[in-house]
Amino acid sequence: MSTTHEVISALLDDQPFDAEELTESLSDPAGRALLIDLATLRRIVQPVDAVPTMRAATPARQRPWRIVAAAAALVLALGGGYLAGERRAVTTSPEAPPPTRVVEAVPFVPTGGMR
Amino acid sequence: MADSEALFTANQDRLFRYFCRAVGGAETARDLTQELFLRVSRTSIPVGADGDLRSWLFRIARNLALDHHRTRRRHAEPAALVDEPARSPSQDVNLAVNKALASLQPLDRDVFLMREVAGLGYDEIAGACELTPDAVRSRIHRTRLQLREQLAAPIATSRTTATSRSAQTYVRHE
Repeated sequence: MSTTHEVISALLDDQPFDAEELTESLSDPAGRALLIDLATLRRIVQPVDAVPTMRAATPARQRPWRIVAAAAALVLALGGGYLAGERRAVTTSPEAPPPTRVVEAVPFVPTGGMR
Repeated sequence: MADSEALFTANQDRLFRYFCRAVGGAETARDLTQELFLRVSRTSIPVGADGDLRSWLFRIARNLALDHHRTRRRHAEPAALVDEPARSPSQDVNLAVNKALASLQPLDRDVFLMREVAGLGYDEIAGACELTPDAVRSRIHRTRLQLREQLAAPIATSRTTATSRSAQTYVRHE
């Protein structure tokens, strides 16, 4: 294979090439055949499988704001819960609820029996 | 320091495609792509331009692919490229391509795949494979010539199919 055909690889790879050298190479039927074959080769070597969807496992040390945000949310939840409970405890009446039924106590009087 | 997730998102397509042909199977390619990003997320990403980072990623990818081949040989697993009954023509071509790639020298194969399948530039390939850009250029051309010879039949078939398809399109548009 003559070196002039290497210019065809440069053309395919979008690399700088000598135009005269390319003209000379493409004026040769073997050069034209090579261009067509290499373009076909490029097509058939492409993988047929679909690209998977993945996510990188990002280490926690690279995202310190996430830890800070989680800690702040926890503090807010605990503080808010405490305050809400306290407010509710103050406003609730300490009195007992009214009775629904009153039972009167009657002294026991024996009506008969042993003497 | 670059963000590993952004680096992953920008390059996962290229890496998966490279792995698909470097190891000859999509399932293993998925595993290796995932493994690569687990490794990347555990290490400090070097400071550099996009091309340098891509070279760095592909250097790791290349090592993973080489490790995979070594492990497979050591455990004497059956070859991934086995003959299966009742294959379609496209499966035949796929198998022939995998066989031809497997017969290449590992460095030639990687340089070729990084260019043709992953779309890396000569400088990026040079960085990933520790070669000079001139060495990359001549290696790619040499490998292309070798594959052209080995894949003469699939190339001829694909060329004929493409030509007849173009002719049909031309007739339809006339």
